[in-house]
Amino acid sequence: MDWIFSFYNYRVVAEYLPIFANGMWATVWISTVSLVLSLIIGTLVTLAHMSHRGWLNRSASAYIEAIRATPLLVQIYVIYFGLPVVPLLDWRIGALQGGIIALALNSGAYMAEIIRAGIEAVPSSQTESAMAVGMSYRQRMVQVILPQAFANVLPPVLGQAIVLIKDSSLLSIITVSELLSAGLTILSERVMPNEGFLTVAVGYLVIYLVMLVLSVYTQRRLGGIR
Amino acid sequence: MLAMYQNVFPFLLQGLWQTFVISMLAIFFGSLVGAFVGLGRARGNRWTVRGFGAYVHMLRGTPFLVQIYIVYFVLPTTNLAVFQLTSFQAAVIALSLYTSTYVAEIVSAAIEAVPRGQNEAAQAHGFNGFQTLWYVVLPQSFKMMMPPMGGVYVLVIKNTAVLSVIGVTELVREANVSIQRFPSFILSVFLLVALMYFCYCYPVLRLTRWAEKKWGGLHLNV
Repeated sequence: MDWIFSFYNYRVVAEYLPIFANGMWATVWISTVSLVLSLIIGTLVTLAHMSHRGWLNRSASAYIEAIRATPLLVQIYVIYFGLPVVPLLDWRIGALQGGIIALALNSGAYMAEIIRAGIEAVPSSQTESAMAVGMSYRQRMVQVILPQAFANVLPPVLGQAIVLIKDSSLLSIITVSELLSAGLTILSERVMPNEGFLTVAVGYLVIYLVMLVLSVYTQRRLGGIR
Repeated sequence: MLAMYQNVFPFLLQGLWQTFVISMLAIFFGSLVGAFVGLGRARGNRWTVRGFGAYVHMLRGTPFLVQIYIVYFVLPTTNLAVFQLTSFQAAVIALSLYTSTYVAEIVSAAIEAVPRGQNEAAQAHGFNGFQTLWYVVLPQSFKMMMPPMGGVYVLVIKNTAVLSVIGVTELVREANVSIQRFPSFILSVFLLVALMYFCYCYPVLRLTRWAEKKWGGLHLNV
């Protein structure tokens, strides 16, 4: 049984378990906060994208294209290292805030695409009937279109949430302490990459499986567009 | 300012070239592996379906950053000669495996999107399993695969940025080195890097959208 200790020493992992637990919790709450922010950003961007004002429309699509065509890591670097050196702004943000902002802005663009697809999947007859009974734009959106779009949107939003959770691992590069950082801690303190990274991989797989079960369940309940 | 750009630009271009090379290699090997896995999931027996399903979920369930660390740090501890990889080799292997899961998903979805009647008609003409696939199903599903493959290519390009953590000298790595020489230009350098990625990815995104309009989209499960 010696080989198992030399390949994966679970006693060391047990010793570091509190660090892994903290890291997992950090990953979960960082992703949750970013998810909520990205949903807000995504909704606002979608509304801008669907508006009839040209400049709003164009700036929304410029934002979406800019985010989709550049890597998240570069976006994180621009926000975390770049914002503080903008002259006159002088806005020093911590790694955690910077990381969450970057994640939310990144995911927001994808959310906007998802939400737009969900809204466009609501039949136009719904809008027309709402107009026919004299509802204003706001009433139409809030009472008719958005509730139906919600059911369409939930499954892909859960898919994007899984991507977001995995993307949050990039924050370890700018020294935010989350699940992957716990693995890096073992690597730097004990030089044990197997114990660090394999445990981290299992942690992410557990989160992934929970999300997968959740998305299968909601798909079965709601049966939205897939 | 101008002197900085004159100094930095050649290195960034070199990094962009390396990004291009790695993304091409990864999309090539990833497509080969992915086509195999996708076929196994769409047309294999019970065991290949389960085995490849587990493969896809394992790679989809972990962040790409963790996968690179495992390929680069964990595999060499097995003391097998094949796994003593340079950072470039580790990068190509990790990125190809990551790419293969997306390709597999596309291939199996495209094969399943071909109407059942096509298969039955081919069998009625006495085609065997391989002939049905090669002469009837794949030519029809190939067009459906193209638009989502464009999306995967963009994803691959963007993920090469993460490879900088294991010391592959691609665009982000070159940018980090340049910033150590010119620390006060950090924002300009990163914005330039972002622009370079944009110039590489945006045409592919536009092409993808055009192909989607022409050949129609494909419903993907994951």
